[in-house]
Amino acid sequence: MEIDSQKNLQRKQCSYEILDEQYKIQKETYKGQQYSHIYFVRLHLMRTILHSLVSKWKPHLPVRTVLELEEGKECVIVGTLYKHMKLKPTILDEYSKERSVTPLVKPHNFMHPDDYLVLEDDSGRVKLSGAVLLPSVYATGIIVALHGKETGVGDFFVDDILEAGLPPQIERPVIPNEDKYVVFVSGLSIGSSSSNPLQFQLLVDHITGHLGDEKEQGIAAQIVHVVIAGNSVEIPRGLLNGQHLSAKDQTKLTEPLKELDILLNQLAAGLSVDIMPGPSDPANFSLPQQPLHRCLFPGSSAYNTFRSCTNPHCFELDNFRFLGTSGQNADDLDKYSEAKDKLEFMERTLRWRHLAPTAPNTLGCYPFTDRDPFLIESCPHVYFIGNQDKFDTRLIKGSEGQMVRLIAIPRFCENGVAVMLNLRNLDCHILSFETEFS
Amino acid sequence: MNKGSARKSRPPPQNTSPAPPAKHQALSQEEDFVDEDVFLDENLLDEDALILRDIEERQALASRLSKWTRPPLSQEYVSQSKSIVFQQLEIDYVIGESHRELLPNLSGPAAILRIFGVTREGHSVCCHVHGFEPYFYISCPPGMGPDDISLFHQTLEARMKEMNRNSKAPSFVRRIELVQKRSIMYYQQQTSQSFLKIVVALPTMVASCRGILDRGIQIDGFGMKSFMTYESNVLFALRFMIDCNVVGGNWIEVPVGKYKKTVRNLSYCQLEFDCLYSDLISHAPEGEFSKMAPFRILSFDIECAGRKGHFPEPTKDPVIQVANLVTLQGEDQPFIRNVMTLNSCSPIAGVDVLSFDTEREVLLAWRDLIREVDPDIIIGYNICKFDLPYLIERAEALKIAEFPILGRIRNSKVRVKDTTFSSRQLGTRESKEITVEGRVQFDLLQAMQRDYKLSSYSLNSVSSHFLSEQKEDVHHSIISDLQNGNAETRRRLAVYCLKDAYLPQRLLDKLMFIYNYVEMARVTGVPISFLLSRGQSIKVLSQLLRKAKQKNLVIPNAKQAGSDQGTYEGATVLEARAGFYEKPIATLDFASLYPSIMMAYNLCYCTLVTPEDVRKLNLPPEHFNKTPSGEIFVKPNLQKGILPEILEELLTARKRAKADLKEAKDPFEKAVLDGRQLALKISANSVYGFTGATVGQLPCLEISSSVTSYGRQMIEHTKKLVEDKFTTLGGYEHNAEVIYGDTDSVMVQFGVPSVEAAMILGREAADYISGTFTKPIKLEFEKVYYPYLLISKKRYAGLFWTNPNKFDKMDTKGIETVRRDNCLLVKNLVNECLHRILIDRDVPGAVQYVKNTISDLLMNRVDLSLLVITKGLTKTGDDYEVKAAHVELAERMRKRDAATAPNVGDRVPYVIIKAAKGAKAYEKSEDPIYVLENSIPIDPQYYLENQMSKPLLRIFEPILKNASKELLHGSHTRSIFISTPSNSGIMKFAKKQLTCIGCKALLSKADHTLCAHCKGREAELYCKAVENVSDLEMVFGRLWTQCQECQGSLHQDVLCTSRDCPIFYRRKKAQKDMAEAKQLLERWNF
Repeated sequence: MEIDSQKNLQRKQCSYEILDEQYKIQKETYKGQQYSHIYFVRLHLMRTILHSLVSKWKPHLPVRTVLELEEGKECVIVGTLYKHMKLKPTILDEYSKERSVTPLVKPHNFMHPDDYLVLEDDSGRVKLSGAVLLPSVYATGIIVALHGKETGVGDFFVDDILEAGLPPQIERPVIPNEDKYVVFVSGLSIGSSSSNPLQFQLLVDHITGHLGDEKEQGIAAQIVHVVIAGNSVEIPRGLLNGQHLSAKDQTKLTEPLKELDILLNQLAAGLSVDIMPGPSDPANFSLPQQPLHRCLFPGSSAYNTFRSCTNPHCFELDNFRFLGTSGQNADDLDKYSEAKDKLEFMERTLRWRHLAPTAPNTLGCYPFTDRDPFLIESCPHVYFIGNQDKFDTRLIKGSEGQMVRLIAIPRFCENGVAVMLNLRNLDCHILSFETEFS
Repeated sequence: MNKGSARKSRPPPQNTSPAPPAKHQALSQEEDFVDEDVFLDENLLDEDALILRDIEERQALASRLSKWTRPPLSQEYVSQSKSIVFQQLEIDYVIGESHRELLPNLSGPAAILRIFGVTREGHSVCCHVHGFEPYFYISCPPGMGPDDISLFHQTLEARMKEMNRNSKAPSFVRRIELVQKRSIMYYQQQTSQSFLKIVVALPTMVASCRGILDRGIQIDGFGMKSFMTYESNVLFALRFMIDCNVVGGNWIEVPVGKYKKTVRNLSYCQLEFDCLYSDLISHAPEGEFSKMAPFRILSFDIECAGRKGHFPEPTKDPVIQVANLVTLQGEDQPFIRNVMTLNSCSPIAGVDVLSFDTEREVLLAWRDLIREVDPDIIIGYNICKFDLPYLIERAEALKIAEFPILGRIRNSKVRVKDTTFSSRQLGTRESKEITVEGRVQFDLLQAMQRDYKLSSYSLNSVSSHFLSEQKEDVHHSIISDLQNGNAETRRRLAVYCLKDAYLPQRLLDKLMFIYNYVEMARVTGVPISFLLSRGQSIKVLSQLLRKAKQKNLVIPNAKQAGSDQGTYEGATVLEARAGFYEKPIATLDFASLYPSIMMAYNLCYCTLVTPEDVRKLNLPPEHFNKTPSGEIFVKPNLQKGILPEILEELLTARKRAKADLKEAKDPFEKAVLDGRQLALKISANSVYGFTGATVGQLPCLEISSSVTSYGRQMIEHTKKLVEDKFTTLGGYEHNAEVIYGDTDSVMVQFGVPSVEAAMILGREAADYISGTFTKPIKLEFEKVYYPYLLISKKRYAGLFWTNPNKFDKMDTKGIETVRRDNCLLVKNLVNECLHRILIDRDVPGAVQYVKNTISDLLMNRVDLSLLVITKGLTKTGDDYEVKAAHVELAERMRKRDAATAPNVGDRVPYVIIKAAKGAKAYEKSEDPIYVLENSIPIDPQYYLENQMSKPLLRIFEPILKNASKELLHGSHTRSIFISTPSNSGIMKFAKKQLTCIGCKALLSKADHTLCAHCKGREAELYCKAVENVSDLEMVFGRLWTQCQECQGSLHQDVLCTSRDCPIFYRRKKAQKDMAEAKQLLERWNF
């Protein structure tokens, strides 16, 4: 495409710092460790935070462990919630006696009215009762402080709940007086039947300034960074069963990757690009997912503007802190708890100060022994999740003046929507690409 | 109840320093019913001395326990102004002095019956019943007059005295009465004969008196004479129950004024009184009296700290924890939960933790708990063979003489006996019999083994089967470590122990054991404790005796000398025409065939005519039936049989119970009625078996062989009628064909293509054929199989239809889906094949599935847990005559690590591994964990040939031509992958060098991942490797979080080593595979 332009548009610049170190798994190996360590670390760190908050919240009440509970005595206990769920699928179902005649329909959500919560600390467990604490809101793995007392039947009757709340935020940088945009896109799903090659090409052309008039190009020049939040390709998994592949199948397998590499090449030539792995990408399954290997992108990996990142992914642009995932954390909460929208799940994870509380229980996770990388110690300014049904965004404020922009990024392959975030005011809008001609 | 022992030898009365509880070694066959007299005072300890000792120390404990005592008595009970109505659970007797007030005319020792039970309000009752005397009958020799009888009395008394020289009893034979009765055996024309009823002083004298009469006695005027005795083998308590119309678990009323409060309480019961047996009112279990009293059910479990490599032994290893749950009958949550621990234990929410410093205190605290809580029923898992004997033997080893006072009688110690129980149905079992007076023991393990056929009876496996609940299984070698840790680790153990006490209670509720067993006791009239400890025959005998008493009949004690009566031809099956039937097969069933035959042809002891009598009596042919086996039985107009009458009552009662069940709304009432109809069904079916038990109480092969011969005739007859009537000549569309017939059912292919049409014809055939049978024999049409795979006799599979719209289920008989000695792979394979063949109707799909599975097996892609075979280790290696795979393995494992090696009683899991050529089968077994850790190759050929081939061919031969060639030798068996063992000799000398991940070519030093040739395929090969890691990660996560779920803790490491758990090996394998796959992936990141 030839562009006749009088003015030479200059792409805006911004500083970038990657903060993925904690999500990298390098030295860690599977040596027979179990999941108890990660819960232990999580409880240990969160308890310190909660204890300091309790002394402000209910200073008159003693803080006890589950073991020290005495019938009828009011106190505060801190521990990990465990949700007992009737419908929760288990691997033991594979071994059920009778093969059921009709295949089980996979429900979207495994909630049941009989579900109940249990609080566990390193000393023991106690069943929770009372109307204050709704099982539908919580899921296994969250750490809270509870005010209440033990009843005669051995339950802990909850009167009040304390969550850790939004973590402290690094000071907001000086607000730039010019527009700088960050583009978020997810679910390109190149190689799947629903992906339209033209749509993504249009997006790339738009970002790189090969599209539209001067005004549009002017806006494109203000895009400083692109984040691809997971599920960029879809590979036919049936082919990967350990058998030798025929030449035809080899092509089928690598074709989507090649296509992606070509497009990324175009992007990376113009501006900095972060690519995160998602559930359908050729990456490991459990969180944190490790960066997609360079060998998959022989072309684009030559650019230093191209970064293959972990999922979750954390970085700073002009001192704005960004944190996001390819969506697994919110999707899993959606299966085991309830909220009015996905943004609410995101907000909760911030308040619980944990990016993925359901890992490892229902969300695959590496068995860390000495840390829990998903704890959110510092509140991001922008928090995003990829691969959602629709675009959604909200600005939330914390009790200590924290401001967080929440973004649910839709799947691009379904309706051609990407998200633009303006660093100047943290406003969001969508970029929509239609390729249908009517 | 006192039962089982033939000898009576007891230690002399003890006062201050009591000896350990008496142990009797006795072989009690289920058919030997012998009373054992227990003398009051003998088992008693000196009360005050013991109670006063360390009373202060225990006061704190006592106050904790006292809040659990039973509700206090109301004023009406205290003032004795209220009739006492209670549900009895246990009846036994004891020898004591005759009650002076109630029986002013008697003196000396007498048998006093004790009835234990619970009132509606939950008060415990101990009722001493006086005046009931043991007796039996002999036939009166002709010509014996009243004078002769008194002479006979004196002679018998003298002989008895001679035999029981040491006895203090003033008299033995109380009296002899002349009565008119009739023997149940054989049809007789006269209505009655003279019998002598011999009443003796004590129950055990029945047996010794019988001995004298059996051997013969010299009577003046009659010479030396030996007598056949009648009803001399009836246990005293059962005799009492029969004569007073008391059935097991029913309600008994003692009217106001008819009972006297005991002067000195002998028991711990709240209501204890004396009364006369004639004053008791026994209520039939109907209406208000069909309900259950609020019994207290104690479920408990103990933990012992065993030494490494040994199963705990009571002489050496301490009891460290006892968990107890007490539940009121009918409530769904226990009201007491506690655990007693040796050494400190951190608290557990909702549970009373009682910690003690010495084992002695733990044991005594448990005893005190029993006394205070006063449970009516004690349950647990394997308590009769392990927990209870262990506690008692442990107390003995620690010299805690006052421990075994667990019964309801003050200071009376429990009695322990070793018994061997054998029965045709259950085989021979060794067990301990512990008598806890006044409390019923209900061992869930025994109940499970008796009522359910399962592949494993471990508590874990039973719970996962019935409750869909897995439990953590802590290996006994870890228990000691937990105990020796701190309060936290002991708490861990306590939680585990509590779960083991909780699961039996859940099983009891879920399987409605209380309802079913109480109803069974009520229907058959035996005490509840008989139901678990004895075989089937006592139940039938009890009913027979009750009925005989009504009819004025007496039952001979025909002591049979083994099975010299020969055998008879059993049930028949029609030749099975094996094949895969794709047209509906209608099944015609005889409803309760054997009971119906006995009723239809009036088959009974008392209607059987002996061959001599046939000639002598010269009966007209219209008055008798000659059975196909050649026996003669008279028709009901001459003599109605007792067995048919019992059966009729049972079946009518069942019909009524079923009708009531439909009406019933209250869930408890429903449970009772359902238990009842089940009990009635089982009882009706066991009558036939009773007559055929050659070593039984009253075998009569004439009856049983007649029953089976009629049965055979019915099946043949049905086949003939169906094939004659349903023909194209008879106006039907197709010729019907009987393809198979079993004991009580006939499978017919009417040739019609639809289920609905087959159902119509099936119904027509059933009605038509039923019309030709004597009532109440009835052929019923119940179900259609479509499609139907008939393999051979007693082996088939099919879809089961009872309505034409939708099939109910897949039904299989005799096919490898539950066999124990097959590995899971076979079971799954067979299930899946049947599913594809029968439900999906996809034979090629099934064939493909088999081929894939075989290929996976050969390529070493099968989950190891699917290949594990388990066998129980019943004795040590030396005791086995033939070398067996699992025994050899156990020996080898012991050499590796004695601590974790399986012990006698454990089940040994193993897989078959590749071994040197010519290795014996038993040398090829190996521990699955060892196999995993050392990557030892399994032997796929063994699994293919010894495990899979037979079941597969059975299924596929009727369907597929050349099944063997097609399935077992096709092209899918060509490529084989065997892993290299990491510990084999040669590998130690091999030098490891990196090979290309793509083509296995050796790599030069410069490359780490791929050779130059494969570089172009890097993306593809990386995808493969990462996909493998991704799959494993997913499985790893799901497996290990499941284990956290089962153990009920997120913050503690999973310890469980339950090899019964389907994911145990997979979990281990996932860990190992994960590490390897990860390592491979790392090679990309150099």
